Amino acid sequence: MSISRREFTIGSAGLVGTSTLGLTRPALAQSEPIKVGWLAALTGPSSAPGVGFNRGVIYAAEAINAAGGVKGRKIEIITRDTQGDPTKAVNATQEMISQAKVHAIWGPTNSGESLAVTPIMARAKMPNIHPCVVDSLIDEKKFPNAFRLAPSNTQWDDAVRNYCLKILKLKKIAVIGDTTGYGVSAVNASVAGFKKDGAEVVYQANIDATQPDMTPDMLRAKTSGAEVVVVWSVSTGMEARMMNVRAAMGWDVAFVGHPSLSSGEIGNLVEKPANWEKVYAVGYRSCSYGADGKLAARNAELVERLKGKVNLSDTLLWWVTCGIDAVEMVAKAVEATGSSSSEAIIGHWNGLAKYNGYFGDYSFNPNQHNGYPTADVVMSAASSAKDGAFLLAPGYSG
Amino acid sequence: MLASILASGVAVGAIYALIGIAYNTMFSTSRVMSFTAGQLGMLGGVLGSLFVLRLGLPPIVGFVAMLACCALIGVITEFVAVRPVLKSLDQHLYVLSTLALALMIQQVTAIKWSTEPQPFPRLFELGSGTLDEKFWVPVAACLLTIIGLELLYRKTLVGRAFLAIAEDNFAARALGLPERNLRIASYALAGAIGGLAGFAGGQLLLAFFANGPLLNFYGFVPVALGGLGNNRGAVIGGLALGIFQQAANFLVGGIFSSVAVFCIFIIVLLLAPQGLFGSHVARRV
Repeated sequence: MSISRREFTIGSAGLVGTSTLGLTRPALAQSEPIKVGWLAALTGPSSAPGVGFNRGVIYAAEAINAAGGVKGRKIEIITRDTQGDPTKAVNATQEMISQAKVHAIWGPTNSGESLAVTPIMARAKMPNIHPCVVDSLIDEKKFPNAFRLAPSNTQWDDAVRNYCLKILKLKKIAVIGDTTGYGVSAVNASVAGFKKDGAEVVYQANIDATQPDMTPDMLRAKTSGAEVVVVWSVSTGMEARMMNVRAAMGWDVAFVGHPSLSSGEIGNLVEKPANWEKVYAVGYRSCSYGADGKLAARNAELVERLKGKVNLSDTLLWWVTCGIDAVEMVAKAVEATGSSSSEAIIGHWNGLAKYNGYFGDYSFNPNQHNGYPTADVVMSAASSAKDGAFLLAPGYSG
Repeated sequence: MLASILASGVAVGAIYALIGIAYNTMFSTSRVMSFTAGQLGMLGGVLGSLFVLRLGLPPIVGFVAMLACCALIGVITEFVAVRPVLKSLDQHLYVLSTLALALMIQQVTAIKWSTEPQPFPRLFELGSGTLDEKFWVPVAACLLTIIGLELLYRKTLVGRAFLAIAEDNFAARALGLPERNLRIASYALAGAIGGLAGFAGGQLLLAFFANGPLLNFYGFVPVALGGLGNNRGAVIGGLALGIFQQAANFLVGGIFSSVAVFCIFIIVLLLAPQGLFGSHVARRV
């Protein structure tokens, strides 16, 4: 059969055209790695959570790849250290979207950065999961691509209130925060919640975290008849000073509140270890030891597997498990749908019901992207850290 | 309550007074308000904790090492942030240069030390309650500094040379005094005094990188209240500020105490712009 020059030209053009139009792409897509962007604050102030999450991320990616990947596709983690700086987070997000062409983004891990990058990811329809607590970061209409893998501020607030009112059965509450924007808004929200539930807020204050002596406010709280002090601050210095003053006053009252109450820094700042007793910080059932001193079976088995591979002594178990869950959620979305397109991943996450993660059982639907179960947000005994996990506060079963 | 107000107020006031003296010492030989004074206080606490707690040096060795380091920072301030702008004092460029250096010191401390407050060691294990050492050590440090400075200025040749430079820079130079070297020495001295403030107040303020701006701010108030360059005024102003601030903490709450402090500050300056103990300065024409 002879081929004329015209037929050859048309045939060649058709071949070039089909390859350009993407008819050969499925073969490529099935072998290319699944790229997960990881916006991590690994250095600089506030890097402790990022370092913890990162250990989980690396562990999960290596485990999946060692098992052959996802339908033959390897997981590739593309990490950018944002140093907790929103400007760096914005630049890294834009690079991930336009140059690295990632399939999904995990992070950032603090709310300041997340507030800056969430609209950018929404415009690019980039599947995004993050653990940031600020309520406004989840808006299913404005940001249909964004999913929260940890509790929101409201859920923390609910857990603290439930513990004070339903478990400790106390009604006279003092609510104290620092003078930062977070401290002021958290105190206001907490006070409104307690009043709504019929409690009596006998004392409310915002204290400058650098104030050297906390005696004045603690004295006023005691005089007001408070039965429990709810603390909303990230300042470990202020919290430790309050604990020292409580001990000096001989006031037998419980402190309940922000997770930073359980920070290891406080152990160095209290004058006596006993000053850190009767302090209960927000924690998570999946990463808490029960009355028997054991973790839930699944996470106990995970901790055994992590031994020798992931250091848990200087981090929190929930950071590590949340990092593992994030990578696995992307991998499982691609595995279930057979596609790494934005629509497929977002669609899959929107259909998750009680997805069995290590950190929690997440449920999402198109109208609810706060996936962490409120019932699993519990209070922990703040001074009981061991391998990154805490004892459940008194009053919880199991 | 009164004992608590006095113990805490006088202690904090003594720290503010020492920072005010550091401001004055730098000002006297250079006519520059160096905003590194508060950072020197912060470094006093951080370096004290570093040498004594982390490195395990005996407190006296840690104290001397801290003084040397802070004096060195004082000298660096003179070279980096003061000397280059001395020729254009009327443009007040020193505000920018010293603030920039202060920010650098703070950021490096945050990165290399910690962004969380760190513990400061007990020094003497003496006292409890309102007589605890954390309350009287800053007061003792302030007293010793005042006595030391008085002896320096009245009994030594170097001290008199300091006074001569502070009184009339041009006349002192005309008499052959080494103005540049004396200025460097005064910055080293100010560095040590600032460091002493942070070290003495370490048990109250902890070793925390964010103490710098706080001390910068509240250390400046006694200087303005007492009159620029007047150390006695700074001490009285500092102690009054500390007691008033602590009383306001008790009476109206922490969030309003800063407001109360600055209301008084503004009222005093409206009534006595030269400060309570400052003298009117004749303007050159």
